[in-house]
Amino acid sequence: MILESQLFQPFTDEPIAVTSESGEWIAPFELDLGPDKLRRMYQDMLLGRAVDERMSRLQRQGKVSFVAPSGGHEGAQVGIAHALRAGHDWLFPYYRDVTLPLAIGVPVVEFVAQAMGTAADPSRARQMPYHASSKELNVFSAASPIASHIPPAAGCAISMKLRGTDQVTVCTFGDGSTSEGDWHAGVNFAGAQGAPIVFACQNNRYAISVGFEKQTGSDSIYTKAHAYGMPGYFVDGMDPLAAYYVMREAVQRARDGFGPALVELLVYRYGGHSSADDDSRYRPRAEVEAWRKRDPLARLRRFLTRRGLWDDAAEKEAEAVVRAQVDDAIAQAQAAGDVAVEAMFEDVLAEVPERLVKQRSELLG
Amino acid sequence: MDRVSALTMVQTIARTLDEEMARDERVVVLGEDVGKRGGVFLATEKLFDKYGPDRVIDSPLSEAAIIGAAVGMAAHGLRPVAEIQFADYVYPGFDQLVSQVAKLRYRSGGQFTAPLVVRMPAGGGVKGGHHHSQSPEAHFVHTAGLKVVFPSTPADARGLLKSAIRDDDPVVFMEPKRLYRAVKEELPDDPDALVPIGKAAVRRVGDDVVLVSYGGSMAETTRAAEALVEQGLSPHVIDLRSLAPWDEDTVLAAVARVGRVVLVSEAPKSASVMSEVAATIAEELLDQLLAPPLRVSGFDTPYPYAQDREYLPGPARIMRAVQRVLDY
Ligand SMILES: Cc1ncc(C[n+]2csc(CCOP(=O)(O)OP(=O)(O)O)c2C)c(N)n1
Repeated sequence: MILESQLFQPFTDEPIAVTSESGEWIAPFELDLGPDKLRRMYQDMLLGRAVDERMSRLQRQGKVSFVAPSGGHEGAQVGIAHALRAGHDWLFPYYRDVTLPLAIGVPVVEFVAQAMGTAADPSRARQMPYHASSKELNVFSAASPIASHIPPAAGCAISMKLRGTDQVTVCTFGDGSTSEGDWHAGVNFAGAQGAPIVFACQNNRYAISVGFEKQTGSDSIYTKAHAYGMPGYFVDGMDPLAAYYVMREAVQRARDGFGPALVELLVYRYGGHSSADDDSRYRPRAEVEAWRKRDPLARLRRFLTRRGLWDDAAEKEAEAVVRAQVDDAIAQAQAAGDVAVEAMFEDVLAEVPERLVKQRSELLG
Repeated sequence: MDRVSALTMVQTIARTLDEEMARDERVVVLGEDVGKRGGVFLATEKLFDKYGPDRVIDSPLSEAAIIGAAVGMAAHGLRPVAEIQFADYVYPGFDQLVSQVAKLRYRSGGQFTAPLVVRMPAGGGVKGGHHHSQSPEAHFVHTAGLKVVFPSTPADARGLLKSAIRDDDPVVFMEPKRLYRAVKEELPDDPDALVPIGKAAVRRVGDDVVLVSYGGSMAETTRAAEALVEQGLSPHVIDLRSLAPWDEDTVLAAVARVGRVVLVSEAPKSASVMSEVAATIAEELLDQLLAPPLRVSGFDTPYPYAQDREYLPGPARIMRAVQRVLDY
């Protein structure tokens, strides 16, 4: 159902943008965000990029085992983050979400400690890097098996509806994830139940090396929403404000009881799939460079600059703040030290079962 | 104690779900045909009329959706009881069980948990062939992070289902479908009469041989024990009821005392739950054994259609194994 008050139509042929590459406001409606919010979004992107770049550096130094570079995704992620009510709504993230959990409020030290696997990680160093989780902020523990979080996200939203909370679930994933059976199973169930959930696809046109045209016979993801009885929105994910406005509307629609939506955000990943990938084997440098020119940080910065909300001095200051934040977080994460070996036996079940007690003493002597 | 009228196992399950849903409004039921139809075996009969479509959810035909959605519901604060129509159809949802259900507490360092129950009718003897007769419990027992129970009586089904629903960990609740309507049992009225997960039941006390079984195979094991008694022997019969964790203390104490043990389960023999029980007995009690622990099991074939009865470890095969450990 499409509401008259909606700013956007679903199923557009062209991706929705609200700012031009040069940072002009091009939407047919008025901007309703104050300077603080706009600057906050930009600063969140700076932070996300800084954390991501530092983790890559730590990975090359052998201090972090693995990274899944997120450069190029920041615009989509900051838009998603600001569209939901942090700590009230739930996020079911995937491993490429960096700016997203940070912008929701996950402390930098928690993200860094998770990546470094130290005792300051609330997940107790149980996962590979880039798997966020925050009970406090309703950021569901990310899981490696692609799309396995889609049915749980649907279930969470069904629970929200059944319990009559005014919460919304937001669930993120890449384009490759939409080929998994679990993706279909989860989106279909959410559609059948009219659950308050927004599925947000960060389409960077690659699943490791496999290009989009090999992933699906369809030329888009958002059109698949038709089949599940929900609106599909097509968004320029390199336009942070477009990501924000479309997500805000989809989230509000879900909150108001009009059911789920699927949002496809066109993005690009500048780096390899992960620190274990060599992307020169499957994509031309010219393609990467062309996308870098469309950088979401540069776009929002131009927008802010045009409006007199940002300048070089502000940039310099913000960069220094972010650098100090990341330095500080790394120091804190490191200072927390390693997780105890015997922690391996905990959290399998609520209580350590008898058999595991024996196995623990076999290890510890 | 007050008694209610005698019920079959499947009637008991429906009544137990009703009691738990009345007790705790967080309890919801979801699965294929669980609503108006009341489940293909009627294990959720009348719940839809009483609790409505919000709490008795007819899901799409997708086991991944059923088990996966239960994870999100549980993490959000509900107590979902998911029904898989046949254990044979858990495989499309198997990744959800292994990757999400079993790992959530661990991978999040205890931040998120999945207190849910996945019920499924399992086992053969109903002319169901290989896709309606399997006993996949070993897969679940092998997966750290799951509790697994497999009752054989209406009373245990009731007590264990209540324990499972109230447990803070995910529980795979397996139901021996060939015993769904085999016997009726009078049940206690007390809505809080629980059977603890992890405790076996001693069904008969004896001195000559220990028979250990669970689920559907308890029927044949009981008949074999009766035949042994007629022959003047004294079997000790243990119903495991819980498979993860299983009651090592009860089994090891009995085997240590008697020295001879036969392990009966219709699941395929290789890498079965009983293989684990046998290995544990060997590790702990080798010098007290008077004979090697023997397994009487289903065969390492897909469950056959025509040879439905022959596949099951029946009383004759159990008795032969008993003879072997007695003669050893
Ligand atoms: C079930 C499963 N199969 C394979 C993998 C290995 N794998 C990890 S990421 C990935 C590609 C995912 O691509 P996409 O969903 O487009 O997200 P992106 O990494 O591009 O952000 C693959 C194949 C996995 N993690 N899980």
